[in-house]
Amino acid sequence: MMTQLQKTSRETLRKRGLICQGLRHSVRQTGLCLLTSALCVTAAEGWTRFGPKPGGNSKVRIEGTSTIHDWQVESPLVGGFIELGPNFPRSSQGANPGKLDVRAEVFVPVSSLKSVKKDGTPYSTAMDDIMHEKLLKTHHPRIVYRLRELSLKEIVSQEPAKFTVEAVGDLVVAGVTNQITFPAQIQIHPDNHLTITGEVPLKMTSFKIEPPAPKVALGLIKTGDDVKVLFHWEVFPR
Amino acid sequence: MSERDSAWEWNRREFLRGSSLAALATLLGGVRLVRPNATAAESESVNTERVKVGLIGLGQWGRDLLDQLLRLPQAEVAGLCDNYTPMLRRSSKRVPDAFATEDYQVLLANKDITAVVVATPTHRHKEIVLAALEAGKHVYCEVPLAHTIQDARVIAQAALKHRRQVFQAGLQLRSDPQRHFLMPFIRSGALGRMAMVRAQWNKKTSWRFTSPNPEREAEVNWRLSREVSTGLLGEVGIHQLDQVSWFLNAWPSTVHGFGTIAFWRDGRDVADTVQALVDYPEGLRLVYSATLANSFEAEGEIYYGSDAAVMIRGSSAWMFKEADAPLLGWEVYARKDAFYKATGISLRADASKLKAQGNQADAQTESADPPVYFALEAFVRNSREVSNAVRDFESLYGDSDPSALTEYLSKGVRRLPAADAVDGYRATVLALKANESVVLGKPIALSPELFELS
Repeated sequence: MMTQLQKTSRETLRKRGLICQGLRHSVRQTGLCLLTSALCVTAAEGWTRFGPKPGGNSKVRIEGTSTIHDWQVESPLVGGFIELGPNFPRSSQGANPGKLDVRAEVFVPVSSLKSVKKDGTPYSTAMDDIMHEKLLKTHHPRIVYRLRELSLKEIVSQEPAKFTVEAVGDLVVAGVTNQITFPAQIQIHPDNHLTITGEVPLKMTSFKIEPPAPKVALGLIKTGDDVKVLFHWEVFPR
Repeated sequence: MSERDSAWEWNRREFLRGSSLAALATLLGGVRLVRPNATAAESESVNTERVKVGLIGLGQWGRDLLDQLLRLPQAEVAGLCDNYTPMLRRSSKRVPDAFATEDYQVLLANKDITAVVVATPTHRHKEIVLAALEAGKHVYCEVPLAHTIQDARVIAQAALKHRRQVFQAGLQLRSDPQRHFLMPFIRSGALGRMAMVRAQWNKKTSWRFTSPNPEREAEVNWRLSREVSTGLLGEVGIHQLDQVSWFLNAWPSTVHGFGTIAFWRDGRDVADTVQALVDYPEGLRLVYSATLANSFEAEGEIYYGSDAAVMIRGSSAWMFKEADAPLLGWEVYARKDAFYKATGISLRADASKLKAQGNQADAQTESADPPVYFALEAFVRNSREVSNAVRDFESLYGDSDPSALTEYLSKGVRRLPAADAVDGYRATVLALKANESVVLGKPIALSPELFELS
């Protein structure tokens, strides 16, 4: 049973991002941090916090359709944290399907989303403005995802350790919250950083977004309701 | 990254390939040539995030800038500043909600204002621009950047140090879609071998303002004071001298200016009529003239090549082909206008309105938006984008890694085309040297180092 003081200390430290720094003393444990097969974690709590760092290869990409051609928007800024708890397998050994101790909150700044051509080169500032307006950027500057539950489904590879998981959580777009479930893959790299990737099909109208139909030079373009969100998130121990 | 960066590397083959869309459009029944990379979309009522702008300097040009800023949906004129109360009051009547002050320091201390436009007399730029950059504002500085090359260098170097902020030099033609549309004609070799360029600016105006008191009169007539005036070539010619250098993608090696007081013999010692010969590489020469004595033919540039000439008049342009020039493919169908004994093929960006092709009457009219509108639009939008990018980046990573932020700002921010600090510095150097040549009455050699910001 944890005392109130310990709880408070733990919360404070977590807020400062200190609790999960490798090779640091935890609140309750006097000394050792265990270096398990792949991850260093604070032994007693057993929770490790990860976050993005500059120069990582994170990317979120939204793909959609329209009456003239497919479109895509991208952002390299995927913020937030993920914390892996005691029962999260640090390697493929001992990994069993089932619910995992994981906490995560992820966000993407709406203004960092930009329209791109298929090859990733810039498309149009006018399209950016339309998209930002549809996402209600001024009132809801972030797209936010809060994880509720994560389950291990399958071990994809042993070395490096890679798992397929199923994520249940709340996605907030333009101020509208929907609970969504999607499969993702988590890879644990030898240097302790993680890559989390996945694809999520969504409908604009689920978030009360009317598919844009801008008037352009050649007439009216109508975009399709269905979009696909692809993400590649690189996070490092904090 | 600029949307039109690709236009820097033009060759004839790419140019012809690029114009096939326009050719197709003309074959489908239209007759106008339109800018191929026309704005993709026009949204009807974008609930736009607005940038709070402060305007410092509310003289004639400052008020013109105010008119354009008030038209921009992305801008909110939140602050006005002029050290002369009647000027401040006059503009405040137009924007009653804007914060008004006679002290630019007070305006800069206003945290709500994130961007400032500096339109004071040229010799007052430096102090204000340096303070604005220091205060963390995005800065639009009119050109010439300063009345001395030394001051211009100080301004440009300070601008380059403030990487989290936008600095835009007021070379408005560099933001004009029509100019971006025309540049490939010059750069691609579509005109054949370039032979010469002619440019002029003619307007009947005294350049003198009256004032109720002698002190104010001296202050307001700074253009007529040799100590601080950069002359016709500096104050007016800079835009066209820069445009030619930009189109030719080269900086000149010599400038020879000539000036005279032809008409306004009111005791002034700043020339009211000037000419300049500007030597570019490979024997190419710009012949420039400007006068305050006559307004015939106003403002324009003509580029002469061995296959064709391009004449630019405001937002319109025409191409005049030589009889022995090869066909480009589209011009047979294009609209043509008669000019005395020549026939010009119309070249117009036409701001994305393909629909206007069917309507000749509409098509004849000039674009409603002057280049300065596009320049201010670029400034306001770029300021907003850079501010957002800094905020977004730091919301993930904090402010611990300035070099990573700089890299993100260079790749992750999509900027509309605009003149930056280096462009502004180079144009200022050329214009000031041209004016110096007028004053000295002898040619001045321009070494390549002169154009470099050391």
